Amino acid sequence: MSVEVSRRKFLQGSVALSVAGASAISATNLFSSEHASNKHQPTDSRIPSTITTKTGTGEAVEVATLCEMCVNKCAALARVENGVITKLNPNPMFPKSKNMLCPRGNAGIQAAYDPDRLKYPMIRTGEKGKGQFKRVTWDEAYDAILNGTDKFPGLAKILEEEKDNRSSMLFCAGEGMAEHTFKQFYQAFGSSNWLNHASLCLQTVVSGYGVTLGGYPQSDLDNAEYIIMAGANRAEAIVTPDTMDCFKRTKGRGAKLVCVDPRFTNTAAKADKWLAIKPGTDLAFVLALTYVVFTEELYNKKYVANYFNGLEDYKNSVITNKYTPEWAEKITGIKAKDIYTIAREFMMHAPKAIYYPGRRSTFATNDFQLRRAQAIFQALGGGIDTKGGLIFGKKLKLGKHEGLEPLYARAEARAVSKKDHPKKGESGYDDCAIVSGGGSWIAWRNRYLEDRMPYKVRGMFCYKHNPMMNMPNTKKTAQMLKKMDLVVTIDTMPSDTVMYADVVLPECTYLERTDPVKTFGGVEPSIAVRNKVIDPLFETKPVRDILRGLTEKISKPLFEITKKYDEDVQDELEDSDEAEVYAEFDLTLPFEGTQEEVNHHMVASVYGEEAAHKLHKDGVFYPDMDKFYKKIGANEHQYYPEKEKAYSVRGGKPKTPSGKVECNIANLASKGVDPMPVWKDEYNFKVEEGKFRLLTGRHAQFTQSGTSNNSMLHDLIMTNFIWINQRVADKKGIKFGDMIEVSSKTGSTRLKAYPTEKIGPDTLFFIHGFGEESSELTWAYKNGGNDNAVIEDVVEPVYGAAAMHETNVEIRKV
Amino acid sequence: MARYGMALDYKNCINCKACEVACKEENGVELGAEKHRIWVGANNPDGQWPLLDIASAAFLPSQCQHCDDAPCQEVCPTHATYYDENNVVRVDADKCILCSYCMNACPYDARYVDDRTMTVDKCTFCSDTRLARGETTTACQNTCPTKVRTFGDLDDPESEISELLRTREHFSLKSHLGTNPKLFYLT
Repeated sequence: MSVEVSRRKFLQGSVALSVAGASAISATNLFSSEHASNKHQPTDSRIPSTITTKTGTGEAVEVATLCEMCVNKCAALARVENGVITKLNPNPMFPKSKNMLCPRGNAGIQAAYDPDRLKYPMIRTGEKGKGQFKRVTWDEAYDAILNGTDKFPGLAKILEEEKDNRSSMLFCAGEGMAEHTFKQFYQAFGSSNWLNHASLCLQTVVSGYGVTLGGYPQSDLDNAEYIIMAGANRAEAIVTPDTMDCFKRTKGRGAKLVCVDPRFTNTAAKADKWLAIKPGTDLAFVLALTYVVFTEELYNKKYVANYFNGLEDYKNSVITNKYTPEWAEKITGIKAKDIYTIAREFMMHAPKAIYYPGRRSTFATNDFQLRRAQAIFQALGGGIDTKGGLIFGKKLKLGKHEGLEPLYARAEARAVSKKDHPKKGESGYDDCAIVSGGGSWIAWRNRYLEDRMPYKVRGMFCYKHNPMMNMPNTKKTAQMLKKMDLVVTIDTMPSDTVMYADVVLPECTYLERTDPVKTFGGVEPSIAVRNKVIDPLFETKPVRDILRGLTEKISKPLFEITKKYDEDVQDELEDSDEAEVYAEFDLTLPFEGTQEEVNHHMVASVYGEEAAHKLHKDGVFYPDMDKFYKKIGANEHQYYPEKEKAYSVRGGKPKTPSGKVECNIANLASKGVDPMPVWKDEYNFKVEEGKFRLLTGRHAQFTQSGTSNNSMLHDLIMTNFIWINQRVADKKGIKFGDMIEVSSKTGSTRLKAYPTEKIGPDTLFFIHGFGEESSELTWAYKNGGNDNAVIEDVVEPVYGAAAMHETNVEIRKV
Repeated sequence: MARYGMALDYKNCINCKACEVACKEENGVELGAEKHRIWVGANNPDGQWPLLDIASAAFLPSQCQHCDDAPCQEVCPTHATYYDENNVVRVDADKCILCSYCMNACPYDARYVDDRTMTVDKCTFCSDTRLARGETTTACQNTCPTKVRTFGDLDDPESEISELLRTREHFSLKSHLGTNPKLFYLT
């Protein structure tokens, strides 16, 4: 055995580091007086003078918290020395993240001490989108939101003009533990327009599994013997505990991993077999696997007899449509013999076999049907709610926390566009068949731009969300933000979206706040909490405190407008005391008390005082933790003894209302959606001569645009590169590092070339989250290419999700 | 007094670089692409798309091998490189004159120049941070998502690393050079 890679070879061979040394950046920014360099130039004694701080051997405080560098919420122990966070270590007590922190988790310190952070409230003074602001006090910022300035109207004017139609304000939020806090503001405010990340993220996978199995399951990768990972990249898009569980047993060590991906990813490198599939054709692959299982009768007959609805219909459909491996080979590029082998091997190992559900964005328009087909294929082997298969797991209860949901008579229903006279079997909406809780971001945006709203939407509150970077067609998002009369952003960083704000409210980072306590279901369920590690820096505040201040300012004045237009409130006021009526409309109520108090109550009310204290101290709690939790090796801990693990909680029974796996859903047909997964010609992979299919994705060192300005992560990956097939690059005279312009009907972006055999000749790839335009971001500003400047806004037909891999592009060397 | 070594279950490595960041944050290593105490070597797979050789695309986490017969220590003219009481190869920054003999002598490319102190720096097994506080793991081992590393005392037959080396096949890097590394790659 002689795999030897020296530092020198590593430096030469690595894409990230081939750009020698740290790039010289000398941006002076408006938000701070600091220059970017290896050193901070702190004005606050609580900020370390150097970017990395060697941990000391003296006194230190350890605070249990949860990471927010991505959506996983891994448990961390923050080491604080003299008020400075010097290290984030994994918290071994959390069953979900099992004593690990990824590179981003380790680099969380740099999120707190980022010199470019938003530091104080600001109000727009220049042209919208130009990023010209003035520093104001919190009260001035709240006042501007209520009463406007000479540059923009406030809520009072908007609601007065819209006659108390609370839905004239849009609320949108990114994923996070405090998203719930912000959502309470949305509910109390009374708008019907809520958009979150779902339609840009996992809407179709969650719903596909939801309608088929009754829930989006977890994967017991710790015990699976056979794993098909298609369109998921757990070695790079880290998900806990899946990433830790998956790769310890591959490579002939107990679990066979089949990676299906158009690219040779790090997951492919760790797999036992890699199949380069044509983008967007996974559904044909699954249908062919299913064909083999039906024709060779490889399915689990007992499970199918007990827990399937519509099996014969689906079997009939798959067989009569002749979804043979030979048929699929032509569509997917995967050899028929491989499909036969995988189907047989999977079913041989089932129920300890997993077709990994994944949790990525929607890539192709057929994604909902793909997920349905995956779920059914999985269930055919009986690997549902069972060890080594997909599991539902247990979830620990939390106490209730009261919110406020007043009814405003003048608030219009959600701004969706219903068809006037839908034909039978046609979707009822213009944009998509089903409108989900999180809505369809791109469909909403496009309708707003095209003036196809049922009423006027005048402004938006945007929390921890970066629409400028996170959804296809950046130009249209910029137009939308410009068209809004009032844009209020609550964020930690001067993102591209913040540049379009009228009022900027600076939130503190996750290390400076306590968030709502959360329960984490699974085989080993637990409750975990994000404790504040240090007090908020600068003038920043947690979103809960921001909303408390804001609602104290706006609640009563806005109620006056409600009194003027709301007939129901007027009626009530005739019979009751005003204070009594107002109590139902008092926007400050959800934000009373501290988060710590609320968390304590939510835990103590169910598990007792001691449990609440323990959770606060350890960051993690579950009943019998004292008895169960123990260290069993340098790298291993026991969370639950084997017999206490919740592999099976329903004896294999799906969670659908019928208790069966739903193959054929008539209700979908009535909405214009195929009731069973079928292949359609329009799904075929097509790229015109001279063009390429553009793929996007993630890797382990960055989480979308949220971490794009992190100095430590930037140190690992300086910029994003465009993957282009080596032979194509040679033909075009493109060499490593050449600047490439990528363009589509939507727009163009530029980034450096990475010729490689890890991608096919008709496909290109680059990582999402780079190429920001906000000049206030030292490391992220114009660094690399922005995929969403190029990706077309293709709306997935079922939930209106953004289909991100449907764009063909041209490239040229510049 | 111990003889510290490390076993690496390198097939677990997914090249996420958590270890690199943990090392930099724990030990206050300066930023910069070449300023690494530890790194993950990655080979591009051999072959042409779609016929790529998976086995050729291995990830190899590495750092100072803490050789029992360290060439870097032999060539150091000022005795800046030394073995500490736990047989960890260390650099005394006060004695280092940046002649860079050690950097050339090291067969593993494990050393780099710290531009702040203008001395040679390298992996210390977290001796002056974590171990000095009585902790039993290095930052890289502790944070690793797939638990590649096991750190411990090679002289203690009861230690987990000793047990691993007794029961698992392993190899050392460039063993033919006779450096006797204390990093062991488990197969």
